[in-house]
Amino acid sequence: MKIRGAYIAAAVAAAIMIAFPAFLGAYPLNVARSVMTYMALAVSWDMLLRSGQISFGIAGLFGLGSYASILAVLRGGMDPLLSIAFAALVAGLVAFALGFAILRLRAMYFSITTLALMEIFRIIMHNLHDFSGGPEGVVLPEVIFGGDASALYWLCLGGLAVTIGASWYFERSKLRLALTAIRNDETSARSNGIDIFKYLLVAFVVTSTLQGMMGAIQVQSYGFTTPDTAFDANFTLLPLAMALLGGIHSTIGPMAGAVLLGIASEWLKLKIPYGHLVVYGVIIIIVILFMPNGLFGLARKAIRKAGGAGSPGSASNGSDAEEGAR
Amino acid sequence: MSKLSTTGLTKAFSGLVAVNDVSFAMEEGEILGIIGPNGAGKTTFIHLVSGILMPSSGRIEFKGRDVTYLPAHERSRLGIARTYQLIHPLENLKVLENVMVGAVFSRGKSLREARLSAEGICDELGLGGLDRDTAQLSILEIKKMEIARALANEPEVLFLDEVMAGLNSDETKQMIETVRRIAGERRMAVGVVEHVMGVIRELTQRVIVLEAGELIAEGPYEKVSKDPRVIEAYLGGAA
Repeated sequence: MKIRGAYIAAAVAAAIMIAFPAFLGAYPLNVARSVMTYMALAVSWDMLLRSGQISFGIAGLFGLGSYASILAVLRGGMDPLLSIAFAALVAGLVAFALGFAILRLRAMYFSITTLALMEIFRIIMHNLHDFSGGPEGVVLPEVIFGGDASALYWLCLGGLAVTIGASWYFERSKLRLALTAIRNDETSARSNGIDIFKYLLVAFVVTSTLQGMMGAIQVQSYGFTTPDTAFDANFTLLPLAMALLGGIHSTIGPMAGAVLLGIASEWLKLKIPYGHLVVYGVIIIIVILFMPNGLFGLARKAIRKAGGAGSPGSASNGSDAEEGAR
Repeated sequence: MSKLSTTGLTKAFSGLVAVNDVSFAMEEGEILGIIGPNGAGKTTFIHLVSGILMPSSGRIEFKGRDVTYLPAHERSRLGIARTYQLIHPLENLKVLENVMVGAVFSRGKSLREARLSAEGICDELGLGGLDRDTAQLSILEIKKMEIARALANEPEVLFLDEVMAGLNSDETKQMIETVRRIAGERRMAVGVVEHVMGVIRELTQRVIVLEAGELIAEGPYEKVSKDPRVIEAYLGGAA
């Protein structure tokens, strides 16, 4: 029953999302695109986090996708829509190759390396003047779909849907068991038949592909990019803050965090330009200190406390609610 | 042919030889005791045969096949499973899911098949409340869960590293019965590390004794326990 209720709620939410352009103007649609882009990045970051690996390389793969897409159109004459798939593929292939080197690393060493990779991609694009346009970046002759606000919105929604679908699959398939086992105890995972490297590689390639895809969608929607826009550290920091705020190791947590922080940031940007970043920093600190499992973690705890008056039956109700919240 | 055998198995950690030139074999349906004083190399030995550590030299064969440098996950798929002296629950998975992991990844079962097989194994071990978090389990239940997870790998060789440690005498009795039953029904070769000699005497047909990484005695417990070298290893050199 609970599961069916969740499906119905998801279907209704999806229908409303699809119908947004019918009753929203250009500015709200633009905000919605920004929120959806960050949401997709937050969910994809979380997907890898479920294995215990903390990536700081979101902006790197996002920027890589941006450049792959815009250069494919500009230098290769590729169809803009096709270039998004192409960029996703490029990001995935780069992640596959890099994975062999960096997925042997753990914890801080992995995180720092992914951060460095982002910087390397940025510097390469900065310096390949003839090919990538150098620091001034590149401009497309025209934006995809002629810049139609509704079409751009649906394109971004499509990218988000693919990401959420992938995350949902991660949660429902044996990938969840594998990634959770790797996160909890690699020794135990190994002695129960889990090929750790293989599953880390799958998670890294899939999430990088999604991040590259979102970069491509973004660049095609704006029609231009520069190294500093494409590899903006915000594309790493904001999704991270969103996922932490909403609740990590789930699909719904990062989504909720993205809605809250995304809308708050639009508002803050108007009120205190650049100051919104300070607010993000404060949120990350508060979340890490006081609610390490995010808003959904707090909610789960509250449900468990309310339902679990000590009897085993009510304790298992608490865990049912947790299943439903996933 | 032996289920599992080693020849001259050695593991050195930068100078410290934890396992030194150990050769042994385990047969189908046998419960073998692995004993020795603290620091004798028993756990390192199990790490080596299960692939958690790679040996410095020597050879490991599983049913005649060389598995000396095979990664741990491939060994568990072949049929070598184990539990750990220090418990290793997967705390973000439910009890049933913990057990399912072995069935899904070692046996390649679908989630549905793995769920059925895990439920069967837990039932067999008398482990209930399978939708609980592992944090809610007693020590006996955690040990049972880890045995269940090892059994979900459907092993032919199983190592139990101090599964009785921390259990009271009733629980220990119950666990001895359980181990005997699962070993008998599955015709596995079971290697048991224990410090409680009563358990070893009751459970095993044969023991090997390690001291300072070396195999110093082998045979039925009654005989080995009278071996002067073994007594010296446990009690120290006679003054």
